[in-house]
Amino acid sequence: MSERNTVWLAAPFGQGEPREVEATPETLVPLLVAGWSQCAPPEMEVKEDVDE
Amino acid sequence: MSTSRLQEVLICFGKQKQADIATANTGVQMWQLRKLNAALANPKLNTENDAEEFGKGHEFPTQSFQTSWDAGSALEKYLSAEIAAWAMAFSLGKVVKSGTAPNFTYTCAPLFPANGDAAELPYFSFVEQIRPGAAVVLDRMAVGCAIEGWTISIGSGPGRANSKINVEFLGSGKMTEPSGIVVPAATLEKLLPSASLALTINGVNYVTSKNIVSLETSWKNNVRMDGGFFPGSGFQATGDATSGAIRGRLEFANRQGTLKFVARFVNGSTELTKLKNQSTGAAVLSLTYDANNSLEITWPKVSFATAELGETDGIVTVSVECLPMWDAVNGIVSAVAKCGVDSICQ
Repeated sequence: MSERNTVWLAAPFGQGEPREVEATPETLVPLLVAGWSQCAPPEMEVKEDVDE
Repeated sequence: MSTSRLQEVLICFGKQKQADIATANTGVQMWQLRKLNAALANPKLNTENDAEEFGKGHEFPTQSFQTSWDAGSALEKYLSAEIAAWAMAFSLGKVVKSGTAPNFTYTCAPLFPANGDAAELPYFSFVEQIRPGAAVVLDRMAVGCAIEGWTISIGSGPGRANSKINVEFLGSGKMTEPSGIVVPAATLEKLLPSASLALTINGVNYVTSKNIVSLETSWKNNVRMDGGFFPGSGFQATGDATSGAIRGRLEFANRQGTLKFVARFVNGSTELTKLKNQSTGAAVLSLTYDANNSLEITWPKVSFATAELGETDGIVTVSVECLPMWDAVNGIVSAVAKCGVDSICQ
């Protein structure tokens, strides 16, 4: 598990990519005020293991 | 037949939010907490009659109609980390959960529709029971409730009553009776006593100076109750137009935050000067049980609206009402609530 305490936030109005940010009030509160909201981490793209 | 006494009343309510206003919490999404006030969440049926209709030959009613339903009540409690986290999350509406057991952190801020947030608050179900089962006295669930507001009161003295929260909530009107909920075991709460207060307002640390006497801070959503009834908002019994309308949404209107305090007024006290100068600064108050259970509320920008000298137990004090103002970066208010309970308002 990562030692960093982070969360993922979705962009305001659903416009833009999610961001992973430090879960501190100093970081989170301005983003919440600006319209960011918590979301699930994006699913990592799984690449098939091509071993030829 | 044994008498029912109000000490028997069990309450439980959604610690998790409902999927939508009409979908009740399930039992596993709820928690049981104790409360101090006797008020029950009585549903109120509003009716109309046909007294004013012409053609009857008289002015008297001959029929009564179920029009709509109201619901709501208040929770008065000693302030704990758990109820603080719940009240902040559900009342402000925007929550980020971080951390792991036993230290979950809920960072909460108000919703701002101008930045893409909803105007609807998170919903929860509220259950009241007295002897549920075969000898039931009361067993009902108000579905689609939202927090209208809260008031936190901190006083001087060692007792639990010196740190309290009063939460007012309103409902969509939808009721389920019997509730069908098995009330979970009571949650053991971690109290946030008055003696743990840390308080800085407008550049002054009132705890270090030993001058704080009492304070009160509040939030009110001024929920648009009439706006909950829109064409198609629904009925108490689905598909039964005679069962009375229920609300299909609970939106906040013009929200209000307050902060007021009483402090000893001594040589060098700056409250009157700051009132005259309309100085602004942050107000930060925190209450702590331990490292994993606490509440910190920040009003990022306040000025003093009034400051009046008086006395408390014969000692000269100043009573100050702050004016919380919008800060361009940090908004109007934020709360960081820590407790060991997972999934609050998730």
